[in-house]
Amino acid sequence: MNVHKFKIFIPKTLLFLYHTRHATVFAAIHMPKVRSFQDIIFDLQKYWASQGCVIMQPYDTEVGAGTSHHATTLKALGDGYWDVAFVQPCRRPKDGRYAENPNRTQYYYQYQVILKPSPKNPQDLYLGSLEAIGFDLSIHDIRFVEDDWENPSLGASGLGWEVWCDGMEITQYTYFQQIGGISCSVTPVEITYGLERIATFIQNVENHFEINWNGREDEKKLTYGDVLQRFEREFSCYNFDVASVDILLNHFSDYEKECQKLLAHNLVMPAYEQCVKANHCFNLLDARGVVSVTERAGYIVRIRTLAKNCCQSWLESVKNKD
Amino acid sequence: MQQELLLEFFSEEIPARFQKKAVSDAKFVFEKILNDYGAEFSALESYISPRRITIRVLHLHPSTKDLCTKKRGPKISSSEDAINGFIKSNGKRKEDLFEENGYYYINTEVMGADIKEIMSDMIEDFIVNMPWPKSMRWYLEDQKTLSAFWVRPMRSILCVYNGRVIETHIKSLGITTCDYTFGHRFLSSGKIEISNFDDYHNKLEKSYVMLDFFKKREYIDQEITQKAASMGLCLTIDEDLLNEVAGLVEYPFIHIGTIDEKFMSLPSIVLSTSMKVHQKYFTLTYPNSVIAPFFGTVTNVPGTEIMHIGLDRVLRARLADAMFFYKEDTNVTLEAFAQRLSNVVFHEKLGLMSHKIDRMMSIAKTKEERRAVALCKADLLTQMVGEFPELQGIMGEIYAKGQDEELDVCMAIREHYKPLGAGGTLPGSKIGARVAFFDKLDTLVGFLGIGIYPTGSKDPFALRRAALCIIRLFCDFDEDILENEKLSWYIETLITSYSDQGIALEHDTLVEVETFITDRFKVYISGKLEVDHEIIKSVVSSFKSLDFDYKAAVLKAKRLLELTKLDEFQVVKEAYKRAAGVLGDLEFSTGSVRDLTFKDESMIALKDSVSDLEGNIFNFDLFTKAARSLLSACDNVLINTNDAEEKSKNLRLFGKFIGLIEKNIGIL
Repeated sequence: MNVHKFKIFIPKTLLFLYHTRHATVFAAIHMPKVRSFQDIIFDLQKYWASQGCVIMQPYDTEVGAGTSHHATTLKALGDGYWDVAFVQPCRRPKDGRYAENPNRTQYYYQYQVILKPSPKNPQDLYLGSLEAIGFDLSIHDIRFVEDDWENPSLGASGLGWEVWCDGMEITQYTYFQQIGGISCSVTPVEITYGLERIATFIQNVENHFEINWNGREDEKKLTYGDVLQRFEREFSCYNFDVASVDILLNHFSDYEKECQKLLAHNLVMPAYEQCVKANHCFNLLDARGVVSVTERAGYIVRIRTLAKNCCQSWLESVKNKD
Repeated sequence: MQQELLLEFFSEEIPARFQKKAVSDAKFVFEKILNDYGAEFSALESYISPRRITIRVLHLHPSTKDLCTKKRGPKISSSEDAINGFIKSNGKRKEDLFEENGYYYINTEVMGADIKEIMSDMIEDFIVNMPWPKSMRWYLEDQKTLSAFWVRPMRSILCVYNGRVIETHIKSLGITTCDYTFGHRFLSSGKIEISNFDDYHNKLEKSYVMLDFFKKREYIDQEITQKAASMGLCLTIDEDLLNEVAGLVEYPFIHIGTIDEKFMSLPSIVLSTSMKVHQKYFTLTYPNSVIAPFFGTVTNVPGTEIMHIGLDRVLRARLADAMFFYKEDTNVTLEAFAQRLSNVVFHEKLGLMSHKIDRMMSIAKTKEERRAVALCKADLLTQMVGEFPELQGIMGEIYAKGQDEELDVCMAIREHYKPLGAGGTLPGSKIGARVAFFDKLDTLVGFLGIGIYPTGSKDPFALRRAALCIIRLFCDFDEDILENEKLSWYIETLITSYSDQGIALEHDTLVEVETFITDRFKVYISGKLEVDHEIIKSVVSSFKSLDFDYKAAVLKAKRLLELTKLDEFQVVKEAYKRAAGVLGDLEFSTGSVRDLTFKDESMIALKDSVSDLEGNIFNFDLFTKAARSLLSACDNVLINTNDAEEKSKNLRLFGKFIGLIEKNIGIL
């Protein structure tokens, strides 16, 4: 590193003294004025890791919600302990607004926590996590507003709330009661944070696209918009206007067939993945406006059948192991 | 207070919409439990706040009464085994049996118990019997089982009697009762020890928990009204919203926020619906009822600048969405939306929504009616109605005005959903009323025609309500919505339309639909006029089944209700019965009797008085006069004389009398 340049940097930074066992080194730490988008994620990861959660990575296929991650849908079934947390990018093609709406996008990030079984104090743990990411609970109005959750396509339902911060929903909080049409023998609690919304509060900005992603305030500052605005615009066009309907229709039935075949081979996780992909195809067709209300019900039944079969196969295999 | 029991069930947040009813439910359920256990007490109060439901029992005696209940056993004729079994299972001896009405009985005594000892049983009973609309189970870590059902996870139970804690374990919830509670989630911290209700109430108030739901609601109403008034604005009262908002805060703090000017171009109903549904904000207006760019809201903690910025900001995001929907919708004409109704299923056996529109078209008469029918369901396909289903019809009207449809047509699109049930307002325009009638009648004809009827409390297609709406349109709407056709014509035309679409209905659909509506009419009128079964029967049966005139029926029922209070009514009724007895099953001509000539004086008097009834507006005195004449004629004249011509004239006159009574009053 060029020493001269380093010295010029000093006025803008703080010098921290790092004591390590082997040496004492000076490190220049960039002190962010705002907590960055990525800091919020880091802090959540650290907080939930400290609560004993497995920190997983996102599911690498398109899903509509963190609930569709196999770490939720499948692993929440059965009796075993399962505390896990991860970021999940979500795709909801119909929610696209060509990057013109400040708060609604077809692609966004959820932070998903599953605690199975639910502990004695999950609400306190949740509020603790808000403090951990920089929420001053004394100046915001946090409320638990009834919002029961139901996903008929998974035969899943639960009771809980949406958590409001100053009137905006920032988290979905659910005690699962049923998955795959089967009552949970051990009730998990699912906490799903809307990361962009939380960031707008913490950084006090209007618009998702203005969220400071990397926390820098100099010319190297990168916002959510810098990272994703073009993605959002182009995918809105793709979802609403350009996606090839016939290709999607073919994909849908291919995924459906493959899912059934894999289930026959008792490969539940790959089968489930095909089901998730079929679901995304349907969402794209829906956004494209080619699914009539009449057909809609038919598609949903087809996806539901796949999902239910996957959940049931999973449960059977888990039981057989016991 | 002496002998006071205080119970508090402290849980995670109870859904706002359950709270109002839970107050009375809790009181009812716990009172019943106390009585079942033979507990003696003077009064019971219940309270609710988002995280707790509280019961206070006054003057609760420390022990319960001895209870003696008579228990029915097997029939006297039963086998020895059955009888012995009954004795044994009750821990009694044969001498304790006694007979009544062919059964053996036994008196079982439950000895009075110490309240403290039965507390856990009573609490367990309360948990089981409290009727939450929706409840859940959660995991009990210590017991490694699932809990009993409750609305949300319960975290502690306060149980104080006579100033002392009753400590008891509630197994189904894994909770041991205690003498402390907690205050506001954010404005209070730590345990609060409680010795009695006054102490509890005061300490909670200081810890920012308003225990009385109804006082809280009133406080919110007053505070918003006052704050709005200080800005020259009025609060639009909304009871449902008030209930919900009160159930969302432990302690209310009021704030008036701002709507961004750029959204004020949205229709005011869109603004207020979006604010209410999504944000639970109250709409504020100027004194001239025009919506103002402000809203009223309630927070659970004192307002801060950053909070107020957030409350405005979140509304901007919501309204940006509404604006998006509005713009997208107005890019498309209502006709284009209407065409997409061929993608919407009305019912799997009754075709698509577009089919329904076509059928309604077959009974529409004027150009305006046909236009209103064509567009009335179009808004179901708009994005705005997709987001806010409660705006159906309303958005249709707004969009129709926007594309310069005739005002009557626009109004009819909104009004064809009216009346909403027994109390709802009627359509203001005739087109609206007629289209509402077409819509409901098509639904009735279709569902009854394929054999789908409401059963018991289940009426998933709201057929009873459809019939009720039709009845109200017939009875309460000022003009004749049938336009000089009979109801049967409309039903038959719809049946033909169904069959033209390849939908075959049962062959007796016409009669079934008429009967269904008439049956609902009986229910409607008995509720509305508080008339008894006899009156309804005499009114309803005075019409031929397919010639029912609902407006006339209401009039008759009202008239009959009044008449039955008069002494003269008995005279008329007797005359009617005598005449009916003479006539038997004979059919009689309905023609005028003015030209008939009689020799006997009492028959002449009868003829004159019956003639007076003809064509005159209803006058009960004339009926009484005719009735007296008829009775005196019966006494003086041989009606069924051998002279065939005389007899026929006599019977025609009697028949006329009966006909006039039935037409004007009913079958007596």
